[in-house]
Amino acid sequence: MTTEAARRPPGWARWIRAKLGRRAVPYLLLIPGGLWLLAFYVIPVAQLAGVSLQEPLQAGNPQAGYELTWRWANYSDAFSDFSGQFYRSFLYAGVATIAALLIAYPLAYAIAFRGGRYKNLLLVLVLMPFLTPFLLRTLAWKVILADSGWVVEGMQSIGLLPSNGRLLATGWAVIAGITYNFLAFMTLPLYVSLEKIDPSLIEAANDLYASPATAFRKVTLPLSMPGVVAGTLLTFIPAAGDYINAQLLGNPQQFMIGNVIDSRFLRVLDYPTAAALSFTLMLVILALIIPYVRAAGTEELVA
Amino acid sequence: MRRRVLPLYAALALAYLFLPVAVVILFSFNDNQGRFNFTWQGFTLKHWAGAFDVPAIFDSLLVSLRIAFFAALAATILGTLIALALVRYYFRGRSTTNLLLFLPMATPEVVLGSSLLAFFLTLRVATGFWTIVIAHIMFNISYVVVTVKARLTGFDRHLEEAAMDLYANEWQTFRKVTLPMIMPGVFAAFLLGFALSFDDFIITNFNSGATVTFPLYIWGAARVGVPPQVNVFGTAIFVITVSLMFVNLWAQRRRA
Amino acid sequence: MTAAPERISPATAVEPAAVELINVTKLFGDAPAVDDLTLTIDENRFFALLGPSGCGKTTTLRMVGGFEEPTSGEIRLHGEPVVGLKPYKRPVNTVFQSYALFPHLSIFENVAFGLRRRGVEKGDIGRRVDDMLELVQLPGMSKRKPTQLSGGQRQRVALARALINHPRVLLLDEPLGALDLKLRKEMQIELKRIQNEVGITFVHVTHDQEEAMTMADTIAVMSHGRIRRLGSPTEIYDDPRSAFVAGFLGASNMLAGTVGGNDEVALADGTRLHVASGHGRRPGDALRIGVRPEKVGVFEPGTAGLPANVVEGTVTDASFIGVSTHYIIHSVLGADISAVVQNVGGSSFRPGDRVALGWNPEHSFVVDDD
Repeated sequence: MTTEAARRPPGWARWIRAKLGRRAVPYLLLIPGGLWLLAFYVIPVAQLAGVSLQEPLQAGNPQAGYELTWRWANYSDAFSDFSGQFYRSFLYAGVATIAALLIAYPLAYAIAFRGGRYKNLLLVLVLMPFLTPFLLRTLAWKVILADSGWVVEGMQSIGLLPSNGRLLATGWAVIAGITYNFLAFMTLPLYVSLEKIDPSLIEAANDLYASPATAFRKVTLPLSMPGVVAGTLLTFIPAAGDYINAQLLGNPQQFMIGNVIDSRFLRVLDYPTAAALSFTLMLVILALIIPYVRAAGTEELVA
Repeated sequence: MRRRVLPLYAALALAYLFLPVAVVILFSFNDNQGRFNFTWQGFTLKHWAGAFDVPAIFDSLLVSLRIAFFAALAATILGTLIALALVRYYFRGRSTTNLLLFLPMATPEVVLGSSLLAFFLTLRVATGFWTIVIAHIMFNISYVVVTVKARLTGFDRHLEEAAMDLYANEWQTFRKVTLPMIMPGVFAAFLLGFALSFDDFIITNFNSGATVTFPLYIWGAARVGVPPQVNVFGTAIFVITVSLMFVNLWAQRRRA
Repeated sequence: MTAAPERISPATAVEPAAVELINVTKLFGDAPAVDDLTLTIDENRFFALLGPSGCGKTTTLRMVGGFEEPTSGEIRLHGEPVVGLKPYKRPVNTVFQSYALFPHLSIFENVAFGLRRRGVEKGDIGRRVDDMLELVQLPGMSKRKPTQLSGGQRQRVALARALINHPRVLLLDEPLGALDLKLRKEMQIELKRIQNEVGITFVHVTHDQEEAMTMADTIAVMSHGRIRRLGSPTEIYDDPRSAFVAGFLGASNMLAGTVGGNDEVALADGTRLHVASGHGRRPGDALRIGVRPEKVGVFEPGTAGLPANVVEGTVTDASFIGVSTHYIIHSVLGADISAVVQNVGGSSFRPGDRVALGWNPEHSFVVDDD
């Protein structure tokens, strides 16, 4: 027979509670994960900032090591050397995000408002393709958009492409790849936000003389804004730093800043430049999303 | 007429979503000549029969699975604890914590990956299996917190008070009431972490050393020709995960 | 020879009350939710804490249960101080407003939860759960899950889950709020029956004055963190002693006046009304005199044998409500008076009729003019 004594919490837990009191509990819960993030996110990123201001001890010889000289010129050099890739990254990411929004919104709307009993099933269907590996999906696009594939030939016959035109190794293929690959990140927040809208609100709008289009503009769209914001952020941020699509679907003329960072880091071993580029990318992204963060408040971020 | 547009659009969109998947599956049956597998040349089952002919593929798959398991497990535990703290308690430093959790999600993978690589280099730690796991745990934590938090906030606080009213102390309450109730959310977070880790490329690429995960294998092979066995395994993964999902859905229906 | 004097041994000294709150205050930030409250609840009573939202009744209950700690003051359960004790250390159980049934456990496990925590023998548990489910009239439901039960059934499971632990005090936090009217009325009678049968103290929080009056032996009416009136339902209904309580329990008509001599109150226009004795005011004090609508009779002016208090007026509204007719009369004093007359024959009046209102002095009550 179990007694009450046997069910008391273990000695160490009681000791903690006695010594530190109830107040300590949330901090104790936070510490393991918090330390992990501190050690493997904050410190490395801070260190990267440091690296971005270094220069090689021996010019042209990356093996010889680096010293911290606060060379802010690293940033301006990097930016001027690779401004093309920077602009291209934000251009591609921006176009892809807008395309994703345009594709995903009606889809999310259809599931949320017309899905009925099949809502969850439809949502699962939308997420299913993303269970194949990212790289395989991208390679599949390489097949689909191949020069002799039906997409290109179809476009050639309608005249959207000149008779010797191609899609691969052009910006369009890269954008198409990015749009597709991040579609789930756009659809899901949109769906969540749309699904929360009470249908009787739209009925009320109609009752008050609004046409369906007006009701959408004045009621549905504003109420779905949190989803739009979340989806846009979740799509744009990884898209801007992506380089897989560019590598597989494009050629060096379409390379994005991610490709540059990858090669600087892993092949050319030019760490300061790579670090400067990484940081610039991150800072620009942060600059673009800080207004969103301010508006929504920090609680919304992680919820 | 207008009522039809939306469902029609949804169907088209779904078709668009499944197109590449169809291609992946289809090309596992392609009788390709030479190293590349980009043009359709005929139907064959030989790649399925010889799925294990290229041992590197299956090995990389196993590596990915192991990494995903460890990373998801650790991240789920760490993240659940954080989520509990955030939802249950008022404490100073909430906004800092929220910010700290948000930043990794807002940082491009190139930055995450490269900064960790630089970090490991400075510490003279050789990159390989465990550095990948460490990296994956790091970026998974935020996603776990988001998932578990969503589940926790809908939780009736009175349930825990009821348990304490019925003579359960804090630890017993947690074990018997809180934990079972958040289990679905915790499990979903685990699955999410597993999927994110399994599919990760960029961060892994920077921190892998000589270890080869499944996505890394594909990347490396993409230049010289991806063997169709990759498609075979990709298809297999897809089919298995989809089946698991449907089994789960069906089981939920039965329980309700 | 005188008998030996009787000695009162400690054992026969007065038993401590079931629940005592002594100068309890609870502050949330700077705002007092409960303000210097002192209350004694006797054994074996059905006690109701009644008041509007925000009056502090739920906070008071939660402090007795251990879910909130008072900012200052003492709380004793059967003489034992409990401030600082966690809920699982107190000999009370709670029925929550949302029932708080554990959705992942079966009904059996829900009801058995407290027993298991206290280490009751496995064999006993089964028997006791079955007995308790019989008591609340839910036999055979052990295997189901809470989601499969209706609101009324869940409510009874919550009750069973609490009672099975033989608490000395049962706390109920507006448990009937989520039920529809018919079910609520049935459950009110059920709860009263169970309290009688089981013989423990029930402390019931509600904002519904009808509910409190139906079920409770003693009611404490609260507002702004304080008790305004404590007594049996009859006592506080007939003698509310404040405008607030008069208005909260049932409806009442209030007329302003000044105290005259000999249990008389003079109204503004000189009309004299008689009140029951012992109102404790001095001549010249300003106060208000009240009377419940159902105590006011409506008569033709000039009828013989009217009760002692008479006010004349004109009917402005007459609503037939089946059981009774509700009149609103614009009196010669300028104030509107409502009267409720049972439909048992007798005269009925229409808007525009001149009438005389009459009632007995015993049915008058006085409150301060605030």
